[in-house]
Amino acid sequence: MADWTETYRPTTLSAVRGNDKARDALRNWAERWEDHRKAAIVHGSPGVGKTSAAHALAADMGWPVMELNASDDRQADVIKRVAGEASKTGTLTAGGSGRRLVILDEADNFHGNADYGGAREVTRVVKEATQPVVLVANEFYDMSNTLRNACETIEFRDVSKRSIVPVLRDICRREGVEYDEAALEAIADSTSGDLRSAVNDLQAVAEETDRLTVEDVVTGERDRTEGIFEYLDTLLKNASAEEALKASYDVDETPDELLNWVEDNVPKEYAGGELADAYEFLSQADRWLGRVRATQEYTYWRYASDNLTAGVAASRREPKGGWTRYGPPSYWRKLGQTRSTRDRRDSIARRVADAEGTSLATARRELLPYLSAMTHHCRNRDLTVRMAAAYGLDASELSFITGSGADTNKVGSIVEDAADLVAEQAVEKGGNAFFDAGDPSPDDTGDGSETAESDETAAESGDGQVTLGATLEDAAGADGEDTVTDSEGDGSANQTDDPGSASAHDEDDGQSGLSDFF
Amino acid sequence: MFKAIVSAETLSSALDSVSVLVDECKIHLEEDGFTIRAVDPANVGMVDLSLDAAAFESYEADGGLIGVDLSRLEDIAGMAESGGLVQLELDEETRKLHIQIDGLEYTLALIDPDSIRQEPDIPDLDLPASVVLEGKDINRSVKAADMVSDHIALGVDEGEEFFYVDAEGDTDDVHLELTTTELIDLQLGPAHSLFSLDYLKDMNKAIPAAAEVTLELGEEFPIKIHYGFAEGQGQVTYMLAPRIQSD
Repeated sequence: MADWTETYRPTTLSAVRGNDKARDALRNWAERWEDHRKAAIVHGSPGVGKTSAAHALAADMGWPVMELNASDDRQADVIKRVAGEASKTGTLTAGGSGRRLVILDEADNFHGNADYGGAREVTRVVKEATQPVVLVANEFYDMSNTLRNACETIEFRDVSKRSIVPVLRDICRREGVEYDEAALEAIADSTSGDLRSAVNDLQAVAEETDRLTVEDVVTGERDRTEGIFEYLDTLLKNASAEEALKASYDVDETPDELLNWVEDNVPKEYAGGELADAYEFLSQADRWLGRVRATQEYTYWRYASDNLTAGVAASRREPKGGWTRYGPPSYWRKLGQTRSTRDRRDSIARRVADAEGTSLATARRELLPYLSAMTHHCRNRDLTVRMAAAYGLDASELSFITGSGADTNKVGSIVEDAADLVAEQAVEKGGNAFFDAGDPSPDDTGDGSETAESDETAAESGDGQVTLGATLEDAAGADGEDTVTDSEGDGSANQTDDPGSASAHDEDDGQSGLSDFF
Repeated sequence: MFKAIVSAETLSSALDSVSVLVDECKIHLEEDGFTIRAVDPANVGMVDLSLDAAAFESYEADGGLIGVDLSRLEDIAGMAESGGLVQLELDEETRKLHIQIDGLEYTLALIDPDSIRQEPDIPDLDLPASVVLEGKDINRSVKAADMVSDHIALGVDEGEEFFYVDAEGDTDDVHLELTTTELIDLQLGPAHSLFSLDYLKDMNKAIPAAAEVTLELGEEFPIKIHYGFAEGQGQVTYMLAPRIQSD
């Protein structure tokens, strides 16, 4: 049996059902095309008659049609050759004065290599076209801004049940199928605005019985994805644990996403003890998701799902009612908002980690909070200066750690002092290197030219006279000024014995390390 | 039922003239020869080809319709040595075409004709001007125009009585005039139309240099290009829609 959606496809615009306004707009666009010469975008849900309307329009206007749809190969050069040429040439029958209609179906869907460069080429074709072009799309906003602005927009809305039923009735009469009015209504109901699905359903059901009844229709219900908002409503208001779990199978979200949704919306319904219980389950779910990530064992998803659907539903102590405004998870938005802050924190932590020989995570989690507490609002100015010098922090980074404003005089002067300190230390370090290495006649203050090379020069100038111990000591002494390695990196052990050894060096150069303050 | 023996050269030139526009086509196997009619995906160019039974060494058919992948069939025909013969036989049961070339046997799976783009109706056009010239002159015109532009104007000057080719690029122009002495024949009429060079280039590939080619032209109207091959026992008509000149 032929496909009824093809057999009963409208051949003229006036036979297009359910979208009278869009239909008239389309005809109007075509009639005025000579004046405005713009392309049209016809968009709307699947199965509401967009492509049919475009073809019917061409038939009404007597325009030959050139159609390119998603099943064709749609690389840029193909579009250029086919749609581009078609949109710039006359017709074979009437020549240059003859109009043709170029229909680009699924203009919002250009995927992968097969369509490489397709979307951009469509925009070019539309702009250069000298023939009417209709772009058919599901998602208006999936098309580029330039493309949308270059076209007139006609929206096809979902076809109402009131419009679907007469279409089905008409088809039944023409096919000689007996029917119950209620059966047709049930079909129209179940397809929610998708006329093509309704006709397909009708055909599927009609092929199995002589007379359509409501019972036939119920068995023929199609799989649909449940929207996340409907699901939240079910989950949080009155579903049992089992219902909540089963309903989640129809939701097109991964447990990670679903967790964010539930987590953000559960306090809008639950309160007190039940809310605590619900969060207990959510935290369980989150731990399972953590295990999934760590082990890549995706079978654990089931435990996450169980917790966050059935668990949350089971925590509810009494059914909820009314209407609630659920919102999308704030998790991603927050991540986005805090991006620059997190980036700055990580860049500081990276430098601290490099200097202290710890991992980035350790620096971020265990060192930064201490630094932050010690230098809170730059109250300990001396320490803050030395910290800034040690890690090479600029004003904005200093402000991030201390909590003082980045463009205040206080922070500015600290940054300046830190720069001076760095220069001074470099000089001293160079001098000490020579001195500690056992050079017989050291110039204690050092020499400007030697400064930067300190350690390396020290080893070289030692000329084999240096013992291993001397070198180590020297290195430790030099590092103590420059960084806070020992005490911060290794924790408490050093705090006790460090002051002794550190201060020994400190006396040499009059410079203490940060470690002295732990 | 279809069984034929044909020289590889004849078969190749027939297929080539169609394959410049489409990848797949329907072949009508009539009693007195076969015909192919196809239009390219953009509906801009069209080809109508007929090859008389007399062009074949032997030919038997009773009005079947087959769908073929042209590039496959061309490749197979290319296996024959020059002057070689190709034997074609249709197996109605399996819908496959058995092809024999010098002992080489190739079984070609056919395409369901219903899945191929519909054949166009040949529009009945009354084109006022007609130009008869040699294939090599077309080749020359197209080549020269291709150097400067992607479209080409063809026309007839009624006053001075010549056929002209114009191509305007962004910086360079090409102009060619052919008077009655250089043309085989010229029928005057108002004619000037712009065409896509991409298509003319493709069509030009299929036109033999020595063939006598007839162009029919009008004002902003499609062009018709006729020529014969296989010693006049095959005829090809191309039609090409004009570029729109305004803006």
